[in-house]
Amino acid sequence: MGSLRHAVELRAGAKDFSTGLLNDLLAALASVADGELVALHGPAVLGPDLDRWARFTGNAIVEVTSDGETTRFLVRRGAPRSYDETLEVGSRLWLYSNFDCNLACDYCCVRSSPRAEPRTLPLEDVRRAASEAPGAGVREMFVTGGEPFLRPDIGELLLACSGALPTTVLTNGLLFGGKRRLLLRELPRDRVVFQISLDSPDPSLHDQHRGAGSWEKARSGIAIAREEGFRVRLASTVADAQAEEGFQAFVKREGIPEEDCVLRRVALRGFAEEGVALSRADLVPEVTLTSAGVYWHPVGATDQDFFVTATRFPLVDAIAAVRRAFAEERRFATSLASVFRCA
Amino acid sequence: MLETITVGAVAYDPKVVGIWEGMRTYFREEARVPVEVVLYLSYEAQVAALLAGKIDIAWNTNLAYLQAEHRSQGACRPLAMRDTDLEWWTEILVRSGGGIRRLADLKGKRLALGSRDSGHAAILPVHFLAQEGLVEGRDYQSRRFDTDLGKHGDTGTSEVDVLRAVLNGEVDAGAVGSPFWAGVRSSQLVPAGAVESIWSSPRYHHCMFTARVGLPPEDASRFTDALFGMNGVPHLKPILDAEGLQEWVRPRSEGYASLREAALRQGLLARSG
Repeated sequence: MGSLRHAVELRAGAKDFSTGLLNDLLAALASVADGELVALHGPAVLGPDLDRWARFTGNAIVEVTSDGETTRFLVRRGAPRSYDETLEVGSRLWLYSNFDCNLACDYCCVRSSPRAEPRTLPLEDVRRAASEAPGAGVREMFVTGGEPFLRPDIGELLLACSGALPTTVLTNGLLFGGKRRLLLRELPRDRVVFQISLDSPDPSLHDQHRGAGSWEKARSGIAIAREEGFRVRLASTVADAQAEEGFQAFVKREGIPEEDCVLRRVALRGFAEEGVALSRADLVPEVTLTSAGVYWHPVGATDQDFFVTATRFPLVDAIAAVRRAFAEERRFATSLASVFRCA
Repeated sequence: MLETITVGAVAYDPKVVGIWEGMRTYFREEARVPVEVVLYLSYEAQVAALLAGKIDIAWNTNLAYLQAEHRSQGACRPLAMRDTDLEWWTEILVRSGGGIRRLADLKGKRLALGSRDSGHAAILPVHFLAQEGLVEGRDYQSRRFDTDLGKHGDTGTSEVDVLRAVLNGEVDAGAVGSPFWAGVRSSQLVPAGAVESIWSSPRYHHCMFTARVGLPPEDASRFTDALFGMNGVPHLKPILDAEGLQEWVRPRSEGYASLREAALRQGLLARSG
């Protein structure tokens, strides 16, 4: 039951919060480090109390699964790195163009691979999203996957998006040869940015995660995109501070501007067996559309806990649904602030 | 008779501005009492202004009222208070199902306290526990959260920190005021039954309108008559609700003896610095 790895198991037994369960939970959490997980097994009715406790104390429930008889609550000790709370909900729109990929990166948060079901977002849906986005308050679009350049209609898709708003396309950069290079030339240089993944300054770590030879091919893809006149951002998914520092030094040596470098930690989702365990409470939502519906954030675009609504259109309603979910998420903090009177 | 009666209040939260806009409008336009309002960001500044005669009346916490009284040798008089300022108390909270069931079990344990200038979350719990034979530092270790110094605990933020420390295991017990604890439970912000009170303190009173030295009695009466005139007036209820009362009441001085003694002993009555 459940997919995320945890460090410690705890069974509630007959206990609940009024009969000492909290002390047992705290003892289990004290035995793990910040960011690590404790699996608490107990009845589903523990859920609301556990959620209140987590919100009050700055811990998080990152996964809830059930086998019908027992529920497993995965409790993360402590808070992850802070995220950009100034980001306006609905200002960014992410589109998962597809979920299949020419690679099978071992930390992929949405389990993309050559064997994954494509779950392609229909082109007409992309066109509709693009046409409705500006009026709905979206200011920039992101196209990701899987590998978007596996789609035969990727040119039309990117033209639709960039025709409406500045668009960033996330790609591994390995598929820019042949016909695809020709379609790059049809895209507006001032409206399309390529975000290409490069996880390390040399092939070692990158190829370990993404496959032998992928680092060299990514460098070639970066060069092609630049030759064709596009702005390229490098995106690096790193596991720890040492890898982060190594990549920052590499970026500096290469003369790449800081604003063209995206560094993020591996999220403990999808294929990843290690990384930062995240819940909704940790992330300001970035509205994400897939063929299955609307999600809280691209990092959890195949996970039930990040699912918001199956109704993608009208887009303004989808964004409103995410905003309502965010307000509900913030309700705790708002309620806490309103408890006080003076004095 | 004064041309203007200047009233000071501490803006411990943005909502205070709206409350005193409403109060000022009522005094000037309905009660025909020429009140002007000055907002401060700390009770220290407000008490200093009252003692310097820069304001005529201060809307004080219990500690600020006693500071003004002490530093004026009793010349700063109480004028009025809220009904909800009567009969506060402090709760000592612990996690349910643990080994702490009574005060004596606190020996050798860790106790969280709120801001050191908070009567309900720091000054009085330390005082009352000492009366029960538990001395800070000797019998228990305190973990103090000086989160809103200058506000005398008004914001509630230090009590949130106290409760959080109990819930996350950082401490064994915590001291919070009775209104905060009632609010947290009624809002269902903590798991039901996860935290319980093992002891409630003796009662004490809270905020008090305090007059400056030499405020003419007729001006004090103009102010308090107008203040009590707000009671039971339907269209003024939103202001009273915002300020957390049902009605204004005459001063009740008997509920300040314990805080007076505690604050004196903890060096919080005399001017600092």
